[in-house]
Amino acid sequence: MSDAILKLTDVCYRYTDGTRALESCSLTIRRGTRTAVLGDNGAGKTTMFLHLNGILRPNSGQVLCDGVPLDYSRSSMRKLRSRVGMVFQNPDSQLFSANVREDISFGPMNLGLDEILVRKRVDDALLAVGMVDCADKPVHNLSYGQKKRVCIAGVLAMQPEIIVLDEPMAGLDAAMQEELTIILERLHISGMTIIIATHDLDFAYGWADKVIVMQTGQVIAHGDPTEILLREDVQNKLGAAPIVAEITRRLSLIGIELRDKEYLLRRKQDLLEALTAYRTQEKKT
Amino acid sequence: MLTEQSAYTNRWRRVSPFAKGCFSLCGMIASFAAGSPRTALLVALIMTTTTTVGAGIPPLRYLRVASPALLFLAASGVSLFISLDFGSSTGGISIHPALGELPHIAMVCCRSLASLTSLLFLALTTPLPDIISLLRRCKFPDTLLDLMFLCYRTLFVLSEAVHETIIAQSSRLGYATVTLSLRSLGGLIANLTIQVWQRSQALHLAAMARNSDGALKFLENSYPHSAKSISIAATAGVLTITMAVMLP
Repeated sequence: MSDAILKLTDVCYRYTDGTRALESCSLTIRRGTRTAVLGDNGAGKTTMFLHLNGILRPNSGQVLCDGVPLDYSRSSMRKLRSRVGMVFQNPDSQLFSANVREDISFGPMNLGLDEILVRKRVDDALLAVGMVDCADKPVHNLSYGQKKRVCIAGVLAMQPEIIVLDEPMAGLDAAMQEELTIILERLHISGMTIIIATHDLDFAYGWADKVIVMQTGQVIAHGDPTEILLREDVQNKLGAAPIVAEITRRLSLIGIELRDKEYLLRRKQDLLEALTAYRTQEKKT
Repeated sequence: MLTEQSAYTNRWRRVSPFAKGCFSLCGMIASFAAGSPRTALLVALIMTTTTTVGAGIPPLRYLRVASPALLFLAASGVSLFISLDFGSSTGGISIHPALGELPHIAMVCCRSLASLTSLLFLALTTPLPDIISLLRRCKFPDTLLDLMFLCYRTLFVLSEAVHETIIAQSSRLGYATVTLSLRSLGGLIANLTIQVWQRSQALHLAAMARNSDGALKFLENSYPHSAKSISIAATAGVLTITMAVMLP
């Protein structure tokens, strides 16, 4: 089986009002990876995501799943959408039912699974996002963060291979962001391919295996975060550098070398630990 | 919101909606089977006691929920009892109480009251999604039920949007004068119209992303001891009907 699970080649898409959302957009998503998609508002991230799920069809170019171009027939769309789960930015746009358990069952029911299996999948999904206690609550009584988790559970219950999340951290407080990161980590360990659109450069730098930087409907950089996000041209486009990388660089300028030869600090937690270790080492010497 | 709150927090929340629907239906049949206002009032008392004592709905909240319907019933009763005559010889308006019709009016009002309490029993003990699920089992048309489902969900989303828009308008003196209020109200309606359209588009996309083929399919809730609950509800319902038929 090919390593590239999803691929866009020269995809162009124009909305009916004439807006050019994607211009020769090409990218590859590898199996089992964590990909962060960065870019300004209007860069084409959501439009690109809607192509991955087959909701939008390119005006030109191709979308390939496992190396096979999508044919957009009803049956192949059913297959694709059961493999590629999509979590939208606004939970209120995604939640249909007034009840948590019922809403999560919507996807598996559409897959035509029998009731016992649907119940099991719903229970597993509730467990995965830590919402078992809220299973029978009405959706409108949940907090914003809880609604987001229900949205993720609704997609997980379909057991997709790939999960696409459109700005999942938007509107969440720090604690909820941390909880969501833990959920994403668990999904990654289980072998799921995760694609996230985000404006949080530090999160992308610390979390992702691959980053895609988009601008005006085009992919302007695509690769390892330690390579792409440290490039000056990319930092200029995004208007910032990852804070951990910047602190490490500045400390290095004053002679404090925190960077291991084999290992590049990426997360804030790693930076703090490296600083503590450096201080302990200094005291000993 | 009071109905919603009661439906989700009452003591019989986890009792089968079929059982509650059955008892409510029996209550309505008993209301119509009642041969006298006194019997209809007794049916109303049974239904109210079952709702407040049995399901644990606080009496004050029950009264608050029932009050608009009770006011409407009272106004209807008065309008049935009193007739206005605009063509009297003095040129003024004369009022004629229909004393002879009083027994009939009392019967209609008491039956309506008993029916109202039967409906309130179901509404205050069963969340709407469960009622829709019950109607689906009773083979009501899917399209109608899907519409009910979406309306119910959207009601909360839009009420939140209305609330937020009004706050945003008020914070910029949108409702400071009558003229400004009218203008703000117009803006609110226009904004909501666009939001409804955008949200319907977003819901459509979300449904497609989750493999929807048009119909809204959800897992039905399971309820413990359903058969037992249904038989208890049916027995209680039949006893109520029998009482209504037997009493003079």
